[in-house]
Amino acid sequence: MTSNIKESRKSIITARIVDHHEVVKNHFLMTLKVPIDFQTAVPGQFVMIRVKGREDPFLHRPFSINLLTSHGTETFMGILYKVIGKGTTIFSRLKKDEELYVMGPLGNGFDMPPNRKKIAIVAGGIGVAPLSFLAEYLNRQASFSEEGIEEIVCYLGAPTSQLLLDRKRLEHACSKLMISTDDGSEGYHGTVAKLFQNHIDSYAENDSIIFCCGPYPMMTGVAEIMKKYSIPCQVSIEERMACGIGACLGCAVRVKSHGSRPHYMTVCKDGPVFDINDVSWRQV
Amino acid sequence: MKNKNVPGMNVDVGGIELKNPVMTASGTFGYGEEYSPYIDLNRLGAFIVKGLSCGPRSGNSPPRIIETAAGMLNAVGLQNIGVDAFIQEKLPYLNGFDVTVIANIFGETIDEYISVAKKLGDVPGIAGLEINISCPNVKKGGIAFGDDPDTAYEVTRQVKSVTDLPIIVKLTPNVTDITRVARVVEEAGADALSLINTLKGMAVNVETKKPYLKNITGGLSGPAIKPVALRMVWEVTRAVSIPVIGVGGIMNAHDALEFLIVGATAIQIGTANFINPRATMDVLEGIQHYMIENDIADIHDLIGTLTVD
Repeated sequence: MTSNIKESRKSIITARIVDHHEVVKNHFLMTLKVPIDFQTAVPGQFVMIRVKGREDPFLHRPFSINLLTSHGTETFMGILYKVIGKGTTIFSRLKKDEELYVMGPLGNGFDMPPNRKKIAIVAGGIGVAPLSFLAEYLNRQASFSEEGIEEIVCYLGAPTSQLLLDRKRLEHACSKLMISTDDGSEGYHGTVAKLFQNHIDSYAENDSIIFCCGPYPMMTGVAEIMKKYSIPCQVSIEERMACGIGACLGCAVRVKSHGSRPHYMTVCKDGPVFDINDVSWRQV
Repeated sequence: MKNKNVPGMNVDVGGIELKNPVMTASGTFGYGEEYSPYIDLNRLGAFIVKGLSCGPRSGNSPPRIIETAAGMLNAVGLQNIGVDAFIQEKLPYLNGFDVTVIANIFGETIDEYISVAKKLGDVPGIAGLEINISCPNVKKGGIAFGDDPDTAYEVTRQVKSVTDLPIIVKLTPNVTDITRVARVVEEAGADALSLINTLKGMAVNVETKKPYLKNITGGLSGPAIKPVALRMVWEVTRAVSIPVIGVGGIMNAHDALEFLIVGATAIQIGTANFINPRATMDVLEGIQHYMIENDIADIHDLIGTLTVD
């Protein structure tokens, strides 16, 4: 038997930078013009990016999709990122009209189970990147349906007031925006996990859902809180990646298994969104 | 006028007939389904499956990969679903394509190699076995089978004795003289050799003073290792009379042509698949283009044509 599938093949596309600026210190928003089929991307999905014409960095870098907009027939994708290492440092120096290779959209997005009236979005630092896209997506859903989503509350945390990201978009998309800063410069003085914990009694297993993304200590904190509750909670995880499509097995995340053998899933193909209770947080 | 006919690309690798010399390297192409949205698997010379062991293996704790200059280190730890699950769940999908499937196998004891080889010999749709002898031998204190010519000989001979399938032995570069192991493995009955596997390396985070990989060391791959791989392929093709498959840092057709010119009968594309899921097709088309441009009607007129003054 020979397979003669003639479906259109996926490929790496070339995308032009239409805007690129530093939103707050060390955090950049890069907007790319992308093909129209990116409009099918859902919040939580990611793209793999490389600079066209450069062999260094060698590997693509994964980024959550932060924004998708269309003007007329044109589609634009926003990537919000923090400068951390070599790859992001090189990206941060790119100018308007430079071109990138983009693979995607990849991975599985956030999943909205039925009958969720109350939504909590818990975002820490640059972890807000996929969640602003999600908040706007859910806000549109809420306005289109008679019953369904009644309230979206975003708990947004950062080390200090100046580093609170995407707050205008979140204020607009959410029913309420609650702020926390590690240094107490604005809102709740403490971690966003603790701020969320103070409000957890407003959520119930049968009608609520939590979406979370942030640095590992913050997500581990949220995971610890969620242990005592049965409210569904989904988390977006980050890991170093090579292929982005489940072949290299580089981006392994340890998940809970019932046997004695450790069990790993790939962030790129099985995730990047996981049920918070499935992840083995102590091993991360 | 240039010869515009399609050049002859088929090669025989130790009794395995390939429609062209472009193969995927084990562990870089999953079980095929990961890449089928990007390329037509039917066009591959051969597809080499991710390394299979007796039972499923979880692999190493993360972090498992780190980018390095012109390459990457990996310590995935041979994570795989095991030979039985492969036969039941993955092989039927691959058999839906008109592609030569070669199974890469490994074990921690010779008995494990034998057990995996026997199982794969009993199912249709496998054209050959590639034996990964870079795996640590638990009975010899974790020294890789391929590091010791005696063990390399023994594992090759014993696997050969339990299967009718052609045997390709994949050699490790982490030895003083690769031709020594190559000759021994040929003597043991290998039908072909593939080289090189990854070079052992490490990388350190100076902020934390910790290795980037949880496993501390990992296997270096990518263009950084290509000159080493090319040199070893050149040395080995002169030392043995069985076909040699060139592997190591091939990113494009130019790189692949270098391996063919020094004497490789076929080549494998590994890490390049991660950078460009179409890498195998780009290499294949590039080799064809080169042959047409240079009036080479058959790939055999290109293999081993290195000129040394």
